[in-house]
Amino acid sequence: MKTKRIALGVLMATVLMTSCKKDKPEENDEEVITTMIVKLTPTGGGAVLEYKFDDPDGPGAIAPTIQEIILAPSKTYSAEIILLNKTVSPVDTVSNEVAGEKEAHRFYYEVQAGAIVTVSNLDADANGVPVGLTSTWTTGAVSTGKMQITLRHYPAVPPNKAVADLATSTKSGTDISTVDIGGFTVKVQ
Amino acid sequence: MKLIIVILFALFIPALAISQKCSISLSGHVVDADTKDKLHGAVVFIKETGQQLITDEKGNFLFKELCDGNYTLQISHISCDSVEKIITLFKNYHVDIFMPHARRTLGDVVVEAQIGIANTGFKKELSRKDLEETKGLSLAEALSKINGITMLQTGSTISKPVIHGLHSSRILTINNGVRQEGQQWGNEHAPEIDPFIADKLIVIKGVDELKYGSDAIAGVILVEPKPLRSIPGYSAEFNTAYFTNNRQYVMSAVWEQQLKKLSAFRYRIQGTFKKGANAATPGYRLNNTGSEEKNFSITAGWKKEKFNTELFYSQFATRLGIFNGSHIGNLTDLQNAIGSSKPDDVFLGEMTYKIRRPFQEVTHHLIKSKSTFYKGEHKFNVLLSGQFNHRKEFDVVRSSSNTRPQLDLSIFTLSQDISWEPPKRNNFNGVAGLSMMQQDNSYSGRYFIPNYFAYTFGGYFIEKWNKHKWELQAGIRFDNKSINTSRLKFNGDTLNYDFNFSTLASSFNTIYKASDKWRLNLNISMASRAPYVNELLSDGIHHGTATYEKGDISLKPEKSVNISTGINFENTAKTFNFDLLLYANSIRDFIYQQPRPENPVLTIAGAFPLIEYQQTDALLSGFDASASVKPLSNFEWESKLSFLYARNTSIKDWLILMPANRLSNEITYSFKDAKKFSDSYVAVEFLNVMQQKNTPDERNGKQDYKGPPDAYHLLNFNASSAVSMGKTKITIGIGIRNVLNTAYRDYLNTMRYFTDEMGRNISIRVKVPFNYVYH
Repeated sequence: MKTKRIALGVLMATVLMTSCKKDKPEENDEEVITTMIVKLTPTGGGAVLEYKFDDPDGPGAIAPTIQEIILAPSKTYSAEIILLNKTVSPVDTVSNEVAGEKEAHRFYYEVQAGAIVTVSNLDADANGVPVGLTSTWTTGAVSTGKMQITLRHYPAVPPNKAVADLATSTKSGTDISTVDIGGFTVKVQ
Repeated sequence: MKLIIVILFALFIPALAISQKCSISLSGHVVDADTKDKLHGAVVFIKETGQQLITDEKGNFLFKELCDGNYTLQISHISCDSVEKIITLFKNYHVDIFMPHARRTLGDVVVEAQIGIANTGFKKELSRKDLEETKGLSLAEALSKINGITMLQTGSTISKPVIHGLHSSRILTINNGVRQEGQQWGNEHAPEIDPFIADKLIVIKGVDELKYGSDAIAGVILVEPKPLRSIPGYSAEFNTAYFTNNRQYVMSAVWEQQLKKLSAFRYRIQGTFKKGANAATPGYRLNNTGSEEKNFSITAGWKKEKFNTELFYSQFATRLGIFNGSHIGNLTDLQNAIGSSKPDDVFLGEMTYKIRRPFQEVTHHLIKSKSTFYKGEHKFNVLLSGQFNHRKEFDVVRSSSNTRPQLDLSIFTLSQDISWEPPKRNNFNGVAGLSMMQQDNSYSGRYFIPNYFAYTFGGYFIEKWNKHKWELQAGIRFDNKSINTSRLKFNGDTLNYDFNFSTLASSFNTIYKASDKWRLNLNISMASRAPYVNELLSDGIHHGTATYEKGDISLKPEKSVNISTGINFENTAKTFNFDLLLYANSIRDFIYQQPRPENPVLTIAGAFPLIEYQQTDALLSGFDASASVKPLSNFEWESKLSFLYARNTSIKDWLILMPANRLSNEITYSFKDAKKFSDSYVAVEFLNVMQQKNTPDERNGKQDYKGPPDAYHLLNFNASSAVSMGKTKITIGIGIRNVLNTAYRDYLNTMRYFTDEMGRNISIRVKVPFNYVYH
């Protein structure tokens, strides 16, 4: 009787263990952002420019890459940020979600080390606080420098986003940061 | 077939007994042969009828409605050897029973002589008083009342026990006889056990751990429910508690019954509901730190002389909020958070039971069948169990309409254990067993550990010998574990790895009772633990600590040699006792996480420091000392001291995240029993936790972003009384934790980067028992 019960247990185990398992590809974290595209459209016509901060395989394995931004002097561009998650199929346009949750997100543009570019006219959320999905970039004389773009996410409910918040505010956490990779090199030429 | 006959036969015995209209009563009196103390709680068992009683406070028992004939009485008591007595009944009869060889209970260390095999080695049991005082708290919080046990926490909602500096997969948690299998490797994965199930919480190290596995490097935690009723009748118990700090309320109820006509059948139904709102530190309330727990269990048993079986099912479901100010995007964020003295106001001040992201949702199901057969004097146990653990972690997400978990892990475990206990001969008794376990783990969402199948086969043999003042015990166990992992990446790449580990464990224990006052104990245990899947194959960002964790597929099992020695002393008047445990746990190939500051992992969210699993040699040594003095009969002073030194011996450095040394002093005043009030006491505890000064040298890589917090001192208060109301005795207790509302942080709480610990917490608890015996 005892052996029968054990045998039954083992049988049950094997049946359960082997029946239901099919390898399915991992549904990668829908929160992953793999790519940030800065899309620049010159006012008054001209070719649309696109520059990427890209990590197609997500965190780990192959490190992200960042492109050089090349702009013409004394020109105005309307800028738009496109965010993608390439680890899912079809590719997810994450920036649409950010546009849907503007009160909890904010882009910061910081021009460093001599590049003559001003970023202004950032789009705002319903409370009038900047979001920065779109902006206007104005270039000056020929110069080279860096641009840091940071996307911050406010986890609190309600988000309590305020105009005065810095990119290092403890109210928000980092979703995207170019600081550790060295930032976008911006060449006005 | 035999079993069916036994069951049929068993079903007929009570029927026959009733039809004969037997009316002889057998009364008796059980006393300790040495001290002549009346023995309360002795189990008196009539082999022929299967009837069983427990002696009352005066050591009395009474069996009614017995028939003419010969009966074998078997009497056992927790602190004595069991006794057998054959009596012939033809009229009402009284018998006095003297129980030989009483072994004292020394402080927390209890030597238990059960009918089967004594549990020895180092053994610490949570006292009845502590068990009552911690009703409504988590399992780890209850266990941390034991000297030498501390907690690893993630905020106030998630806590797991730490034994002598080690935790997670180095501790085996045995829930009602079954090895608890979930995702216990994670630092923020608390044990999925309802503490209200436990009648006893015991921590052991020694030969008995070999029954459960060869991998108990730190020790084994036994969560033991009360045995099912052994007297026909029914009983119920209702427990409730309320905590002021987080407005937490707990309700737990249990109902059990043994039928009159079918006394072999017993059952129990038990359930717990617990809900807490956001917790407050002395300075501010932390948003999203609520919790909720819903648990229930059913036990049914059938007990006869030659066969008994028990079926148990339990379900545990919890939802645990995680402070949302601890959401960290990258290392810079973590450093900014550490730099501020308190969290941003947007994460503070909300008084609600509502739980939002980030939170965890965990369910655990356990089904178990245990049967015992007696063949002659041989005893056989068959234990079959199935467990299903489903863990979902909900991170902070971009879109508020997203209801999916980001980490979703399911693990299904089946296990089969058989053991054989031959009869005791020439002071020898032993147990041998075989065990098998099959596991299936799967994940969806974010990758942290792969899908895998694991198969474990093991066998053990334990032999115990005792004579006069000596007890010697030895045991050996072997396990083989194979793990087949598979991961199909989003881009179609498959990563499949197979592993096979053999682990050997052995243990030797000796006890010498030098006199009635002194007891000495020496234990040497060798354990070996195969690397867990997370240590082999984890690969991803750990958001709580802003690190990128990477496993290593070349890890070998870690092997420990643990030597411990205990000295107990208690004077004859029982007004002074002293207990010392010295231990040294030497672990070869100790698996730990080594930071690689030279190789940060760059992601689109910024850089994360890389932490890799690797192996070293470690030595964890220390002592637990406790003493209690009763200068007056109603006044007791207990002092507990616990020290630990944890070294990474290969690089002559300290190990990270080890509990700080601590000293606790408690003064208890017990009131004399009055007419309506009994077991009344008030107790005041001073707890001093020192600063952990022994942390890894920064020159070997920055391991921590913030040094250990300062030492802290807490004042706690407890009072309790049992009030007699008619036939029931209602116990009412009041506890105040952190009476002075001290702001402090604990080194073993990950939230120390962000917030203080909980402030003053006043609790009120009420226990209403009810018992009815059929006549």
